[in-house]
Amino acid sequence: MTVQSSMTQRQEWMQVLAHAGDDLQQFEEQLAGFDYRYIRIPETGMVMARGRTGGTGQAFNVGEVTVTRCVVRLNDSGTTGYSYVLGRSLRNASIAALMDALLQGPDSANWFDAVIVPLQQQQQQRRAQREREVAGSKVDFFTMVRGD
Amino acid sequence: MQADSLVPAFSDPVVDSQRVFRVLLKALSEPGLIHEVDFVDSLGPLDEAAYALALTLLDSSTTVWLSPNFESSLIRQNLTFHCGCRFVAEPEQAMFAFLTADEVQVLRRLNIGTDRDPEFSATAIVQLNTLETGEETVWTGPGIEYSRDVGLPLSTAFWALREQVNLFPRGVDLFFVAQKQVMGMSRTTQVQTKRED
Repeated sequence: MTVQSSMTQRQEWMQVLAHAGDDLQQFEEQLAGFDYRYIRIPETGMVMARGRTGGTGQAFNVGEVTVTRCVVRLNDSGTTGYSYVLGRSLRNASIAALMDALLQGPDSANWFDAVIVPLQQQQQQRRAQREREVAGSKVDFFTMVRGD
Repeated sequence: MQADSLVPAFSDPVVDSQRVFRVLLKALSEPGLIHEVDFVDSLGPLDEAAYALALTLLDSSTTVWLSPNFESSLIRQNLTFHCGCRFVAEPEQAMFAFLTADEVQVLRRLNIGTDRDPEFSATAIVQLNTLETGEETVWTGPGIEYSRDVGLPLSTAFWALREQVNLFPRGVDLFFVAQKQVMGMSRTTQVQTKRED
């Protein structure tokens, strides 16, 4: 049970970090005091993104997207942090990996409130904004119904 | 926790693995010469050169057999993480085999390729204590102008067995490693043990 709930929470912050992009860089100063080393230095590669038309069709390959990954180890606690972030920024991947390591540590709740919650709100707002914009251009074809 | 045994690999994976590859190419084209490989720390029982060689040659498309002497979760986890290679239980299935001097019998079980596809043969990485103090053998063949005296700490049984699995064009290519040193030996190299002379 505890494993399950901590897993889902980690998935949650991983998702937020993966989508944060350059927003991560505002937290860089707070991370400056932590001593860490790279297990896998930040490296960029491609992954295939898949999608469906209309959300109902067969999944197909939309195209490849760049992804940067990184693994760090905190020197004092030995915690390992992983990151897979969208884009080619090595810096963002480093920050996200370090953040993942800190979020697994004893100070997890504070980091979560200070970093993940605001980022998550930002991302949700942006998403809602985008959805509103898209919804504004929606057309309902009521008059196109055939019949008498 | 599993991930805690992970250690860093090459500091610059692309450049370092290319440098090591170049050294290995040179080692194999000039059998019997000692080359230096100083890029990573040793990984548990796996010496510096052996680990660098593993990081360079192994990837997700290669199969690896580890000798029981190297069998540890530290080595398995790090090679899986950094190389993504697949471990096999039997030497027959391996493209790369990591062994020590006392496991000569493993040579007999390695894949030596076929006459049509000799490149499918396995490469054996033999970790020794040293590459310099051992019974002198005389090597001849491609990459050696006349002959070369090489003193590896290996038994005559090892050389006899290597002769048996070396059925040109089939055969096993070898790398001998000790600490930061590496020496190559292709299947075309002829070895004479001095005792026979």
